[in-house]
Amino acid sequence: MSVEADTLSPPARHPLRLPRLDKSLWLPIAVVAVLIAFFSATTDSFATLRNFTAISGQAGALLIVCLGGTFVILMGSIDLSVGAIVLFVAAASVKLLNLTGVGGGVLFVAAGIGLLLGLFNGVIYAYGRIPSFVATLGTLSIFSGLALQILEGRAIQFDLPGFEEIAIGQLVPRLPNIALCALVAWALAVLIATRTRFGRYMYLIGGGETVARTAGIPVRRYKIYAFALSGLLTGIGAILMVARLGAAGPSIGQELLLNSLAAIVVGGTSLAGGVGGPHRTLIGVLIIAILDNGLNLLGVTQYSQMIVKGVVVIAAVLVSRERILGAIVK
Amino acid sequence: MTTSGPLLPAAPGLLFEAEGLTKHYGPNPILQDVGFAVPRNKVVSFVGENGAGKSTLFNILSGIVAPDAGRMRIGGVAYQPRDYGEATRRGVARVFQEQSLILNVPVYENLLIGQEARFARLGQVLDRPAMIAAAERIIDDAGLDVDVRRRTGDYDFSKRQSIEIARACLAGIHLAAIDEPVVLLDEPTSALDRRDEEAFFRLVAKIRARGSLLFVSHRLTEVLDVSDVIYVLKDGRLVAELAPGGTSEADLHGYMVGRERAADYYYERRQRVLAPAAPVVLQARALAREGAFEPIDLAVRAGEIVGIGGLLDSGKSALGKAVAGVDPPTSGTVSLDGGPDAQPDIGRFVRQGLGYVPAERMAEGLIADASVAWNISLASGADLFSNILGVWRRRREIAIAEHYVRSLAIRSAAADVRAARLSGGNQQKAVLARWLCREPKVLVLDNPTRGVDAGAKEEIYRLVRDLADKGVAILLITDELLELIGLANRIIVLQRGRRVAEVPAPASAKPTERELVALMLPQSGRADGVPGPAVADPVDPNEPELAR
Repeated sequence: MSVEADTLSPPARHPLRLPRLDKSLWLPIAVVAVLIAFFSATTDSFATLRNFTAISGQAGALLIVCLGGTFVILMGSIDLSVGAIVLFVAAASVKLLNLTGVGGGVLFVAAGIGLLLGLFNGVIYAYGRIPSFVATLGTLSIFSGLALQILEGRAIQFDLPGFEEIAIGQLVPRLPNIALCALVAWALAVLIATRTRFGRYMYLIGGGETVARTAGIPVRRYKIYAFALSGLLTGIGAILMVARLGAAGPSIGQELLLNSLAAIVVGGTSLAGGVGGPHRTLIGVLIIAILDNGLNLLGVTQYSQMIVKGVVVIAAVLVSRERILGAIVK
Repeated sequence: MTTSGPLLPAAPGLLFEAEGLTKHYGPNPILQDVGFAVPRNKVVSFVGENGAGKSTLFNILSGIVAPDAGRMRIGGVAYQPRDYGEATRRGVARVFQEQSLILNVPVYENLLIGQEARFARLGQVLDRPAMIAAAERIIDDAGLDVDVRRRTGDYDFSKRQSIEIARACLAGIHLAAIDEPVVLLDEPTSALDRRDEEAFFRLVAKIRARGSLLFVSHRLTEVLDVSDVIYVLKDGRLVAELAPGGTSEADLHGYMVGRERAADYYYERRQRVLAPAAPVVLQARALAREGAFEPIDLAVRAGEIVGIGGLLDSGKSALGKAVAGVDPPTSGTVSLDGGPDAQPDIGRFVRQGLGYVPAERMAEGLIADASVAWNISLASGADLFSNILGVWRRRREIAIAEHYVRSLAIRSAAADVRAARLSGGNQQKAVLARWLCREPKVLVLDNPTRGVDAGAKEEIYRLVRDLADKGVAILLITDELLELIGLANRIIVLQRGRRVAEVPAPASAKPTERELVALMLPQSGRADGVPGPAVADPVDPNEPELAR
């Protein structure tokens, strides 16, 4: 895949990218390698084609959701409502599938609902001048509440035979469609980040919002765009998750908030904004997915996994902070 | 630990000594091997251009910044303060450029800040009557007319400045048993009006009888008046030690810029005589911003440089932001290039050909983490550097950035270097290139040479002249009087948000610093904190007398 080659070897091809960022890409890649080596050595079932297929299926939805979140964090904001958007989109689409004849068109409906919820976030954040942390904490509660009302607290299965194929079918052998979709979305997101005005503005707003505004960049509008894009991708991720699971239940999307933030930050996109990008998020998602899968195979309990993941996130932020401080001191 | 330094044979009569003080920020040397001696009971002044290192020197003396190398002694005892608190305990007090008083507490609390422990009874309860009495002694000693029980914010800027000076000079003597204070005064008089200025000079005389003062000011006449010794800083080095007798302002200036201030430092010979038919490109009508400036009309013609001058509290920076639409005004309109009168908006104005260079380069002008190229293309993402589909034109971005790196001699070697690694002058050139590549019709420049070394300054002045030659209308807001006088075709003077004068400044008849300062300062004394009527009348722009 040419895009992948491009982003993984940027020094030659991107004269404008900063060399510091490129060197820092090796740390998360090394972590992936170490994790793979570790789990291969400690379990029999990890290093099998079957398991890699399973990992890519699990990682697919997470990657799609993380891509939108990456732009938001790149811009120096944060979207805490991704899990709630997944829950709402999943609930609404299952209802629509069962009550109307939308059929496969539900894909577009789900994307549209996600987009609207993201727009809602963005407008509250940009026009209400509320910190995104607070705005999306509020909508997290709103969206979850609405979704649980739709579901009436129960899990609902969809009755559209064959719909699950869009997630678990394998157009490419051994690669679930959900992972294929995620890789395509990732390639597009990398292009958007590195080759478009929208992408550049995300870096600029994250790097210096006041500077961007003083130079006439319509910061508010682009903030809304970023949240809308995050909502759109989250909506798509949600419907693929529903297809994969065969149902929408109250617990869908529950782990997504921590997992997506963890993946983005571990990948190397700074919570301070302006540094990182979607190309790094792929690696972050791999780390989180491999960690999940490997710990499960080792028989580590769900609760202990939560502890491990929390430690990983804090460590990732500490490491990236060290790097930034080092650059400044020098 | 601070008093355990080796006791050197203290030179009698020397209160403070420094040798070899050196400081770098990143690759840029800010101070190099600065050494000087402050005799007892003397006023020692430091003059130099912006960016010459005066502030850094004072930061080192007051413990805010640690030097990379060098030694200091107070009264022969080694002095190496770790923070401002330690400096204060050793008898070094400082009046900052920006006021550091807390507005919503009584004056006496500000005067005794950091000294509360002396007034504590039973551990926590403060003995307020004792505090008030102590504060009153300080105020009386300073000869100020201030009620220490009143809220600090009730006094105006000038009075507050006097209070702050009194605190720095006298609190140590009265409370901390410091016999010989070293008082650092950083531009103390720029915000004082005439009456408080007299009180200030009385205070200086009083302090000099007990300790020593180190003084920084841009007002060279004042420096010559109060100093016993004058040191000139240039590009981080001390280049001259002068006695005020037999030294003139012109001499000082010569040392500061490294040459006599030739008339063409500001390229005055290239200043255009505007044709009466030159079109008005920027027209502001009744522009006002609550709390910053009152309704102002303003017109800049093609090829004209209009200067805006005034003290820190004059509202001139706020006016620049309002004209450019960065901080929209509360009322009033701006019309660009004959367009409709409308509420200014930076986004629209940039599309129509306006550029704005902010005064705070690191906070508003430049993204330090981004490359030079990214900073240059920053304002043109919507037209020059992306196509109709929003796809970024990377090749053009690199080509244009490299063009300006060469043509403006931005010494970063390449366009992909992080802007943070450039010196102030080169950073500012990158900010200017951001607008140059758009071929603007109007430029609003707020202190375009702040923190810029002398060489880059001259290049920026030449650039400004080039732009005026091309017919760009330029609104120049600056704290530097000489720059204001040298560059502008005419100068608008603001005083506390009011336009008080307009002074023509043709190349043949530039106004003097003294004339402008007189217009910037409120002329009449005022009753206790209440702003009085400004006496300076708006000057008829056609009246040639004022322009000497």
